[in-house]
Amino acid sequence: MATGNPVKPHRWGMVIDLDRCTGCEACVVACHAENNIGMSDPEEAARGRVNHWIRVDRYYEGEFPDVKVKYQPVLCQHCDEAPCEPVCPVNATYHNPEGLNVQVYNRCVGTFYCANNCPYTVRSFNWFDPKWPEPMQLQHNPDVSIRPGGVMEKCTFCIQKIKRVEEQAHAGSRPVADGEVQPACVQSCPAEAMVFGDLNDPDSKVSRFAGDGRATKLMEELGTKPKVIYLEKAR
Amino acid sequence: MAEHPELLPYGIIREDLFRPLSRAGRKWWFTVAVCFLLVLAGLAAWGVQLRDGLGVTGLNRPVFWGLYIVDFVFWIGISHAGTLISAILRLTDAAWRKPVTRAAEAITLFALMIGGLFPIIHLGRAWFFYWLIPYPNARLMWPNFRSPLVWDLTAIVTYVTGSAIYLYLPLIPDMAQLGAHNKPWRRKLYRALSLGWTGSDREWHALEMAMKLNAVIILAVAISVHTVVAWDFSMSIAPTWHSSIFGPYFVVGAIFSGIGALIIVMATLRHTLHLENYLIKRHFDNMSKLMLTMSLLWFYFTMSEHITIWYGNEPKEMAVFGQRTRGDYAFWFWTMVVVNFVIPVILLGIKKLRSIKTAVIASVGVLIGMWLERYLIVIPTLVTPRLASATSFYSPSWVELMITVATFAAMIMLYLLFARLFPIIAVWEYKPHSPEEED
Amino acid sequence: MERRNFFKILSTASAGALATGCGTDTDKLIPLLVPEQDLIPGVEYWHPSVCTSCSSGCGVVARVMDGERIIERSTEGKTEKLRQRLAAVKKLEGNPLDQVSGGRLCARGQAGVQALYNPDRLRGPLKRSGVRGEATFQPISWKEAIAEAADQLMKVKNEGADRIALVTGTVSSTRSLALRGFAKAIGAPEPLVCSVASHAAERKAAEIALAWQGLPFYDIANARHILSVGADFLGGWVSPVNYARQFGAFRQARTEIRGYLAHAESRLSITAAAADQWLPLKPGSEAQFLGAVGRILLELNLAPKAATLPPPVLAAFQALDLASFIAATGIEERKLRAAVEQLGRSEGPLVLAGASTIHTNSVDAIVASHYINMMLGTIGTPGGMQAPPKSAIDPLTAVKFSESLAQARAIILDEANPLYTAPKAAHVRESLMKAGFVLSFATTLDDSAAWADIILPAHHALEGELAVAPATAAHLSLAMGGSFVQPLYDTQSVPATLAAIASVMKVTFQPATAKEIAEPLLPKDLTWETVVREGGFHVEAAALVTPAARTKKAPKAAAPLRAVSFSAAKFEGDGPFLLQPYLSPQHHEGASANLPWLQECPDPASSAVWSLPVEIDPVTAQRLGIATGDNVKLESASGSITAPAYIHPGAVPGVLSMAIGGGHQHFGRFASGRGVNPLEILALAYEPATGDLATGATRVRLTRVGPGKDLIQYSAHDKEERPHGHR
Ligand SMILES: Nc1nc2c(c(=O)[nH]1)N[C@H]1C(S)=C(S)[C@@H](COP(=O)(O)OP(=O)(O)OC[C@H]3O[C@@H](n4cnc5c(=O)[nH]c(N)nc54)[C@H](O)[C@@H]3O)O[C@H]1N2
Ligand SMILES: Nc1nc2c(c(=O)[nH]1)N[C@H]1C(S)=C(S)[C@@H](COP(=O)(O)OP(=O)(O)OC[C@H]3O[C@@H](n4cnc5c(=O)[nH]c(N)nc54)[C@H](O)[C@@H]3O)O[C@H]1N2
Ligand code: SF4
Ligand code: SF4
Ligand code: SF4
Ligand code: SF4
Ligand code: SF4
Ligand SMILES: [Mo]
Repeated sequence: MATGNPVKPHRWGMVIDLDRCTGCEACVVACHAENNIGMSDPEEAARGRVNHWIRVDRYYEGEFPDVKVKYQPVLCQHCDEAPCEPVCPVNATYHNPEGLNVQVYNRCVGTFYCANNCPYTVRSFNWFDPKWPEPMQLQHNPDVSIRPGGVMEKCTFCIQKIKRVEEQAHAGSRPVADGEVQPACVQSCPAEAMVFGDLNDPDSKVSRFAGDGRATKLMEELGTKPKVIYLEKAR
Repeated sequence: MAEHPELLPYGIIREDLFRPLSRAGRKWWFTVAVCFLLVLAGLAAWGVQLRDGLGVTGLNRPVFWGLYIVDFVFWIGISHAGTLISAILRLTDAAWRKPVTRAAEAITLFALMIGGLFPIIHLGRAWFFYWLIPYPNARLMWPNFRSPLVWDLTAIVTYVTGSAIYLYLPLIPDMAQLGAHNKPWRRKLYRALSLGWTGSDREWHALEMAMKLNAVIILAVAISVHTVVAWDFSMSIAPTWHSSIFGPYFVVGAIFSGIGALIIVMATLRHTLHLENYLIKRHFDNMSKLMLTMSLLWFYFTMSEHITIWYGNEPKEMAVFGQRTRGDYAFWFWTMVVVNFVIPVILLGIKKLRSIKTAVIASVGVLIGMWLERYLIVIPTLVTPRLASATSFYSPSWVELMITVATFAAMIMLYLLFARLFPIIAVWEYKPHSPEEED
Repeated sequence: MERRNFFKILSTASAGALATGCGTDTDKLIPLLVPEQDLIPGVEYWHPSVCTSCSSGCGVVARVMDGERIIERSTEGKTEKLRQRLAAVKKLEGNPLDQVSGGRLCARGQAGVQALYNPDRLRGPLKRSGVRGEATFQPISWKEAIAEAADQLMKVKNEGADRIALVTGTVSSTRSLALRGFAKAIGAPEPLVCSVASHAAERKAAEIALAWQGLPFYDIANARHILSVGADFLGGWVSPVNYARQFGAFRQARTEIRGYLAHAESRLSITAAAADQWLPLKPGSEAQFLGAVGRILLELNLAPKAATLPPPVLAAFQALDLASFIAATGIEERKLRAAVEQLGRSEGPLVLAGASTIHTNSVDAIVASHYINMMLGTIGTPGGMQAPPKSAIDPLTAVKFSESLAQARAIILDEANPLYTAPKAAHVRESLMKAGFVLSFATTLDDSAAWADIILPAHHALEGELAVAPATAAHLSLAMGGSFVQPLYDTQSVPATLAAIASVMKVTFQPATAKEIAEPLLPKDLTWETVVREGGFHVEAAALVTPAARTKKAPKAAAPLRAVSFSAAKFEGDGPFLLQPYLSPQHHEGASANLPWLQECPDPASSAVWSLPVEIDPVTAQRLGIATGDNVKLESASGSITAPAYIHPGAVPGVLSMAIGGGHQHFGRFASGRGVNPLEILALAYEPATGDLATGATRVRLTRVGPGKDLIQYSAHDKEERPHGHR
C-alpha cells in the first residue's frame, strides 16, 4: 500500500478502463444514491432535463453484422485548466488545493456560463426546486447539501467521501491509503472499471495506470488537462 | 416640403415640435394601453419564472442559453442606433443630424434598459444578480474579474449611465423652454429637469463642451460594450464561438440593426407626428446609404467568419456550420442572408429603388435578420456540443416568447411616452444664435 | 478473504469514517437495531443485508444514519403532524465480504433504497372494498385481516388443499422457504415460480448433461477465451454483478493475459457490446450453432477430451448436418469456423451458454454447450465450468404455472406478479377473477395485487430478517440481513404473517430462521455471531465438515440422460418478425420499474429514459418507413401492443427486441400506465423440458402507426462523429 506524502497535497484523479466497462450504468445510479441529485419526471426528461453527474456515452460504429458499440462513462474531468472556472462571475466554481473543480452551490447565481464552456457537457442545472415525495427524503445523504432550483451542479468526485477519509486519516495521524477513497461510482462498478486515487503519489494505482500505453484523455487537445484518464479498449 | 427646415421661422418650428407634447390622439392612448398590457403580461411571465424556476423556459442540457441571450444581444445591438450614429454625426458636425439625434439617443437608452434586463431575467437565481457587482462588503466577497460576465455588467452599467447623460444634456435647453408649460405638473417636471438653465453664454459653452466630450466617451463605450458582449461568446471554447473577429463583427451588426431601428422610428415619427418638414427625404437617403455600407460590412464579416470555419474543416466547428447552412437551421440562415444582405443591397443600392418606403422595408428585414443572426450564433452551437452524445434541441417556451414580445411592447411604450413628454427633435438646435431673433 | 481482515476491509473499502472519538472501527457494523436515541447525527453505521431484486442474492451493506420524517398522529379526532427521528438507510453498497457481489452492485441493487422509501408503499393491511380487479381497498387491522385470510384459506383447504396455489418469484430465501413450508403444512402443492428469469432451462441442462443440481458456476475470471451463447451474462442473466466482476478481471486483471470474448446472441446486448466479437444469431438457432461448434472442434481435432463424451453424444455431434446447421445460424461459415478455431486453439477455452431469451429448444442448446466444455476438458478446471455447490436453500422450479392457477380456488401471491409476467394468453386475469380468494403480500400495489381480496403488506427486505441463497456461486453460501431499521409502516415479514395465518388455521407451521438454516452448515471455525456480523458466509466444499452439514444432502439427481439433440426452435403464430422481450440491466423482469432512479437510468441500447422502445433494424425500418420515435404496432395471435420504435444499428434483421419493464397497470406513481409490456402478447409456448414460458417463440406483424412522443432519449445521437466535413 502506498503512503501518500502528508505534506504534499493530494491530487485526486480517476482512471476508467474501457476494456472492463460493460455499459451497465450501475455507476449512474450509484451517483444518484450518493449525491442527492434531483429526480426527473417524464415531462422534464422529454425536455432534455435528466440530471446525471455521470453518464455512459454510447456510440455505434459500422453496419450490421459488424456493428461495434462504444460505451464511455463521462463525468466531470476535474480539468486542471478548467474552462468552466474563469468564466464564473461569482467564483462559484473554482479549483481547490487538491485539484478538484469544486462547485459552491450557495454562491451560484445560475448564469449557465460554466456549463456552456464545459467541453464535456457534464454540468447540470436544477431547473426547479427538487422534489422528493415523502418519505424519499429519508434516503438523503446528510453529507451532501440539497441544491435549490436555479443552481448549477456537477460531479464533485464525491468530495464528501474524500473529506471523511481524510479526516479519519488525520485523526489516526496516518496518510490516506491508496484506494481508501472510493467515490460512489467507483465503489459500485461491478466490472471494477474505475479506479480513484492520488495522482501526486507515484505509487498509487491511478498514477501507474496513467502511464499505461492505453491511457488517453478526453479532448486533451483542448488543453483542459483532465484528471480523468481513460484506458482505451484493447484490440 | 422644405429642403431646409433650418430656414423655417423658429416660432413655427417650436410650435411644430412642441405640439405633440400637449395633444394625444386616441391611437396614442390605444397603442400605449396595448403595449402596457403586453408589458404586464411579460412581467407576469417573469413572475411565473421567478416562482417556479428556469424550468418554465425551453432551456435544457446543453442548451443553457436561449431566447433571453438572443434578445439581450439583439437589444444591446439596437442600442447602438443612438449613441454611435448621433455621436459620429455630432463629432463630424454633419448638418443634417439635427432632427435625428434625439430620436436615436432615446432608442439607445430604452434599448439598453431593456437589453440590460435580460442577463438578469436569464439568471437561475435572479434575486442574487447583485452578487456580480463589485462593491465593498463585510464578507470580502468580490466577483470574479476574470469573467466576461463581470466585464459585461461593468460595460453595460457604464453604457446606460453614459447614454442617459448623453440623452439628457441636449434636453436641458428644451426643458428650460418648456418650463412655462400650461400643466402645473409638467411645469414642475421640466423646471426641475432643466436644472435652472438660463441660457447664459457660459452655460451654452459648458453644455457644448460637455456634449462633445460625452460624444467622444460614449463612442468608445459603445464600441467596447458590444465587443464585450461578443466576448461573452468568443472567450468561451464552444465550437464557432471562439472567434477573434466576434468583437468587430458584433459591433458592425449592432450598428447595422441600430440604423434599421432608427429608420423605422424616424419614419413612424414623421408620419404620426407630422414631421414631414423636419425628417425629410435627405435624412432617409443618408441613413439608407449608411445602412447599405453596414450591410456590405456585415456580409463581409459573416462571410469571413464562415469561410474560415469551412476551410478549416475542424469537425466540431463543421458540425455547427453544417447545422447552420445545411441542417436544422438552414432555412433561417439563408433567410438571414437574404434580409440582411440581398434585400438591402437591391433596395438601397439601386438608386431608383431608394425611397423612404424601401428604406423602411429594408430596415424591418434587417431587424428580423439581425435577430436571426443572434439566434443562429447562440443556438446551433449549443445544440451541437463537442461530445456528440450530448446533442440536443431547443424550442422556446411561452414564457420566453411572452417576455420577448413584452420587451418589444416596452420599447414602443417607452418611446411613445417619451415622445409625449419631451420634444423628439431638439428644438434649441434650430434656434437662431442672436437673442433678438427669438419670437 | 481472510476473516480476520474483515473489519479492516470493511472500514477501508466500504465504510467512511466514524467521527473521531466514537469508538473503534469495529463499531461500524452493528447487526442490531439501533435505537433512535443512540443515533449520533453525522455518524454512519453499516449493516449487512441482501439484495432481493433478482435471484443473484448479492450481499449488501446499508449505510444507516439518523433521518427524519413527518408522521400524522390522531388524538381525540385531531390529527397533528409530528417530526419523527428514526434510523434511515442512506445508501446500499455491495458487501465486500460477500462472494457474489464482492462489494459491488448493479443499477437495480443501488436503487434498492428507493423501494424501501417508495412513496407508494402500502401503509398497512388492506381489504378489497369494490369489485375484484377494480383496485379499491379499505384499511383493515392485522388481526382481522389474518383472521379473514385464515378463514378463507380454511374453506378452500376443506374443499381440497390442492386447489390452493402459491405463486412466488425466483429468490431462494427464508421467505420462499417459509412459503414452501406453509404450503406443505396446509397440504397445498409446492409454490409455483412465476418468472421469465427462473433459469429453469440452465438448471435442467446441467441435470441432463452432468447430473448437476443447480446452476453451474462459470470461472470467467480465469478463462482465456470465452465463447458465450445466448446468455447476456453481463446484463440480465443469472448473476450480473458476479459475472461483471469476473469479466473485468478476465479482461485486465492478469499482466500477460487479456481474455477474449466471442458472443453469439440474437441481440446486441451489453454482453455483445462488450465482446471482442459478436456473432448475431438467428433467434432459436443456439442449438444449431453449438452443434456446429462441437462438430467443427471435432473435425479440427481441437477437442482434446472428446473421448470423455458419452458415445451417443459423440455420435450425435458427428452425425449432424453441418451445412444446414450453419445456415440456420445466419452466420457466415468462414466467420463461424474462424471463431471456433480460435476457441479450440486457446489455452483456456470456455463455452458459456444460457437462455436470456427462452426458446422451445433452449435446454438442447445448453446441454450441447456442456458437452462442448466436456470435449474441451473445461469442466471442473480453473477457468472452466464448475459444479454448483450445495444450496443452503433449494430453489423452487418453474412449471406451467398458469395451468395450475386456472384450477386454483385460492391464490397466494408473494414476490410474484403473474398478471405482468405471464402473457395474456395464459389467462391469469381470468384465473384471478375466478378464484374464490386471492391473498397478496405485496409491498406496493402491483398489477396482480390489485386483484387481491386481502393484502398483507410485507416488510421491505431491509426492514426484516432475511437470508438468501444465491442463484449461483462458487461455494455454498448464504447472504443475510438483520432488521436494523424500524419498519416504516404497519407491515410484517412474510414468514411471520404465514405463521400467524397458520396458527389461526390451527395447522402446525414454524418458519425456519436464518440461524436454523445456517448453523448446521457452518464449519467449525465459523460462529453464528460472526456470520451475523459479516452478513452471511460461504464455505468451500472441503470445509463442510460438520455431521449435520453432511447429512443435509443435496436432493438425489437422476442418472444423467447423457443425450444431446439439436431440435429446431418452434415459433407460434404468423407474421414476418420475431418478438424478443429481454431482461435489461435497469428493469430486468420489471419488478423495479416503480423506482425513479431506474426509470431515468438510460437504457444502454437506446438511451431511452422513462420509456422503452422496440428495437428495429435499419433496413426493415427503411422498408416500412419507420423512424426512431414513431409509434409502431406489434401484433401477435394473442393481441397487439403499440410502442415507440428505436432504429437500432445493431438489431438483427427480422427480430424485434424490447425490454421488459413497461406496461404496468398498477405499480405506483412512477410506473403505472407507463409504456407497454412485450410479454403481454406472447404466445403460450413452453420449453418442453422445463415448462418454462418460451419468451422468444412468438411471431408478430409490425406496422407503423404514426409519429409519437413516447420515446424519451437521454442521448439521441448514435454516432460519435457528425457529418458535414467536406474533404
Ligand atoms: N448550508 C449551510 N452550511 C453552513 C453554513 C450555512 O450558512 N449554510 N454556515 C457555515 C458556518 S458560518 C458555520 S460557523 C458552520 C457551523 O456549523 P457547526 O459548527 O456544525 O454548528 P452547529 O450546527 O451549531 O453545531 C454545533 C454542535 O455542537 C453542539 N454543542 C453545543 N454546545 C456544545 C458544547 O458545549 N460542547 C460540545 N462538545 N458540543 C456542543 C451542538 O449540539 C451541535 O451539535 O456551518 C457552516 N455550514
Ligand atoms: N439564527 C442564527 N444566527 C446565527 C447563526 C445561526 O446558526 N443561527 N450562526 C452564526 C454564525 S456561526 C455566523 S458565521 C453568522 C453568519 O451570518 P451572515 O454573515 O449574516 O451569513 P448568512 O446568513 O449566510 O448571510 C450572508 C448573506 O450574504 C449573501 N451573499 C452571498 N454571496 C454574496 C456576495 O457575493 N455578495 C454579497 N454582498 N452578499 C452575498 C447571502 O445571500 C446572505 O444574504 O451568523 C451567526 N448567527
Ligand atoms: S458501472 Fe462500471 S461497467 Fe458499468 S457502466 Fe459504469 S463504469 Fe461501466
Ligand atoms: S469537465 Fe467541465 S465542469 Fe469539469 S472541470 Fe472540466 S470544464 Fe469544468
Ligand atoms: S451557473 Fe453558477 S457556477 Fe456556473 S458560471 Fe454561473 S454562477 Fe458560476
Ligand atoms: S465521483 Fe461521485 S459525484 Fe462524481 S460521478 Fe462518481 S459518484 Fe458521481
Ligand atoms: S444482481 Fe440482482 S441481487 Fe445483485 S445487486 Fe443486482 S439486482 Fe440485486
Ligand atoms: Mo460561522
